[in-house]
Order: sequence, then C-alpha cells, then structure tokens
Amino acid sequence: MKIIISLLVMIVGVACSSEPTITKDMLDGGTLFDPSIYKPESYLISKAIPNPTLEQARKPVIIACHGYTATTFEWDELRTWAAGRTDFLLSQVLLGGHGRSYEEFKKSSWHDWQSAIMDEYDRLEKAGYQNISLLGSSTSGALLLELVASGYFANRLIPRNVLLVDPIVIPSDKTLSLIKVFGPMLGYVETDQSAAEDKVYYRFRPQETLQELQSLLTIVRKDLEKGIQLPPNCNLKVYKSSKDSSADPVSAVLIYKGVSAANGVPIAVEFVESDLHVYTRLNLRSNVTAKDRINQIATFTDIAARTLR
Amino acid sequence: MRFQHLVRTKLYRFLSGFFFVWLAYSPSIGQDNQTTKSNGAILDVGIRLQKSINLYAENGITAQYTNQKLFAKRLYFGLSYVTSRLGTALSSNAIKQDNVLFHAAYYFRPNRLIRPLVKANVGYFKADYDDAMFDVLPRTSLLASPELGLCFCPNIPLKINASIGYNLLTGNGVTGPGTLYPVFVQTSVTWNILK
Repeated sequence: MKIIISLLVMIVGVACSSEPTITKDMLDGGTLFDPSIYKPESYLISKAIPNPTLEQARKPVIIACHGYTATTFEWDELRTWAAGRTDFLLSQVLLGGHGRSYEEFKKSSWHDWQSAIMDEYDRLEKAGYQNISLLGSSTSGALLLELVASGYFANRLIPRNVLLVDPIVIPSDKTLSLIKVFGPMLGYVETDQSAAEDKVYYRFRPQETLQELQSLLTIVRKDLEKGIQLPPNCNLKVYKSSKDSSADPVSAVLIYKGVSAANGVPIAVEFVESDLHVYTRLNLRSNVTAKDRINQIATFTDIAARTLR
Repeated sequence: MRFQHLVRTKLYRFLSGFFFVWLAYSPSIGQDNQTTKSNGAILDVGIRLQKSINLYAENGITAQYTNQKLFAKRLYFGLSYVTSRLGTALSSNAIKQDNVLFHAAYYFRPNRLIRPLVKANVGYFKADYDDAMFDVLPRTSLLASPELGLCFCPNIPLKINASIGYNLLTGNGVTGPGTLYPVFVQTSVTWNILK
C-alpha cells in the first residue's frame, strides 16, 4: 500500500512540476519579443501620432487586437493590405502577457491581456481621436465583449464599431471546461505549430493561462445570457468561420442572441466558408487556397467599409 | 428570485449536502424492505436536475422501471427528458436545447440505504438556434454517456440519485453541436408510483 501511495505521489509530483522544453528560437524563450515592444510607434497610433491635427483626429482609427498566445503578427496582413491607404489608421495592440516569454505569459491574467486594449483606447481618446473602431480576433472578441458588458464605454468616447473575427465564447476543444481539475496535473499544453509560427505565437500554453481563458469565457457567456446592450451608435459584426477547431462556431449564435444594439436592431453575423481559425491570418499557414485569399480580402474590405461609414 | 437561479444554486446544494451527510453517517441497514419483500415491479417517476460543467443547467423528468426478473430489481431501464428550457435558458439568452435519454442502470448493494450505481445512457440531442442563418451549424447529435453515482434509497418509495456522467460525443467546432459538453453532474428525485 505504501508503495502505491508513494508511486501516486511521485506521478502527481512529476506531473505538477513539469516544465516545457523551450528553445531560444521560440517566442516563449524570452529572447524573441514582439516587435511592438521595441518599436511601439510602428504599431500604435497613440505612439506614432500622439498629437494629431484636427484632420488626423477625425480620421477613423481601427484598434486591432489579437488572440490568445498570438502577437501583433496576427493583424500584419491587414496593415499590408491597407498600405498606402490614407482614409483610416491602424493601431495594432499587443495584449498584456503576450509576445514576451513563457514566464511572463504564465503569470498574466485575462485582465492583464485586456488592459493593453484599454490603455491604447484611453491614449487615443485623450489625444483627441474621435472615430475609433475595435477589431478583435478570437480571445480578443471575448475581451471586447467583456469591455462592453462591464460598462467601460459608459463615460467615454463610444466606439463606432466592434468587429469580431472568429470570436470565442465556446471553445471547440471542450476539455477546456475541465482545466481547473486537470490543469494542475498537466502543467502546460503544447501546440502543434511550425517553427516559423513558434516565433510569433507561444508554443506552450501554461495551464494557469488556460484557466484564465476559461474564466473569461464563463464571464462573457453569462453576460451574454443576461444580455449585453451596445452603446448608442455602436455597431457590432461577427465574422465567423463555419468550421473552426479553436473557437466553436456556435459562439456566433451566443453573441447574436446575447448582444443587442441600443436601437434594438440585431447585430450582423457573417458565416465564412472556411475551416481556419482567424481566417484573416494566412501568413505562415500551409495549404492556403484561393478561396482563403478571397475570404481574407473580402473581410478586410468589409472592415474598412464599415469603419469609414 | 428566478427559478433557474434557485435550481442552480440552493436546490443543488441542498440535495447534494443532504445526500452526502447521509452517505457519511447513516448506518448500512437494510432499506426499501417493502419493495424487496414484494415481487412487485418498481416504476420510479420524478425530476432530473442536470448541469454540464462550465455550461448550462438542464432540467426535466425521468422514469425508470424494474421488476424481480431484472436481476432481482437491481437492473433498471428508464427514460429521461432534460432541457435548458427548464434550466439556464429559462428567461435568458442561453441556447434552448433538448436531450432525450434512454438508460439502463444497475444498482449495487441492494437493501442498503446507500447504493452505488452505474448507468449507461443513449439518446438524442437537439439545439434550437432560433434563426435560419445558423442552419449551417450542426445542431443535433446522438448521445452516449456512462454515469457513475450513488442512490439514497430510504425505506419509503423515494430515491435520490446523484451521479457524474461523461458524454462520449461532443461538439468540436467542425462536427457536433457546440453546446454539447463532456462532463455533467445530475441529481434525480423519484417516487415509486407502483407502491
């Protein structure tokens, strides 16, 4: 009996203390960082144009926010697509805890992830920008919905648009619902991604952050069940892959049922025939099809059109 | 106070607390002697309160039947219907979904107050997304789940079952309804109407 107990203690001990094998070629390693940390003025409008002219302040600004474990890389293709356009500005936010190291990520909470969005929004508002839209992919969709539900915009400049690409409320991998029980035994979860993706996405997901993700999703789901009302003159659209192995497409149903515009008009939902999660990011993916390119451009075009309305 | 809130919090806590106090302190004396002594059949009818871990509460009705020929009343066959319409979706924006379950249950330690049980469920799941635009998403699924639990069976026709179950078929973002989650806990309170 003693032997069995000792073995169980050893197994649990090993499982709980497991740490991933991180190399310096990975974003997790603490040697590669998101470029917005070195050059914030290349990514954040509040840093690039901290004192806008009246004309610049009237120009629409899109704050683009990435998903869980990602970096500003996730919206680089929108920047590339919009290159040369002068009718709107793009600000790419790096979420708190992201783009730094495994340890930094491990100790971050979803509030930390979200605070980077609020910081940029506040800076832009204080600088005098008058037309701000929020664009979020995956987990940022949940972060933005929580911002609206929490009343963050009650006494602030109201965003013109909240645009969500593959927002997550219900995870496709349902074992996330059990992360509080099994997370401490697992320690972390490794993602199957290429070496190139390792440089712009964390490869290892600390169970602590998965618990944070689950907590955020539970809060947002319950907010949606109660009902979230958008501020006046704010529009919301969901762009959702019809097949998505990360953010279950049923998330779009929950958002549609749970969010209403101030005037009572239902929000817009567009299902995109794709099996990619965050289908607007195609760089570093293998087997990208012509249809994927069409989907990406169509969504970028729609995002720009809605922002300019 | 809304009914769903009552179901999800106070009633669950009361039943589970009640059940486990009995489990810990009750003597293992023979119970349900009335039904055991007779050769009559048992038809338990009652309510089933179910909660998926990190998702919806779904409540409904349940019934199960046994007689002396079914392993001396140890084996039960039953039918349940639970729905989020009587749970989380009651007066909220949660998705309305229905589960119809056929089960076979085996009760161990007959005549005891506390009886371990194993159950196998098969059934059908359907979610109602309310709008035709969501027709592209899967909304139905077969159900298959084992359950493991305990029954509080006092010397009256009452049974209180508490168990944990695991849905073998769930949604994964590509196939299967997204709000079909793996682990659920349930409590059922039934009365033998043939007594």
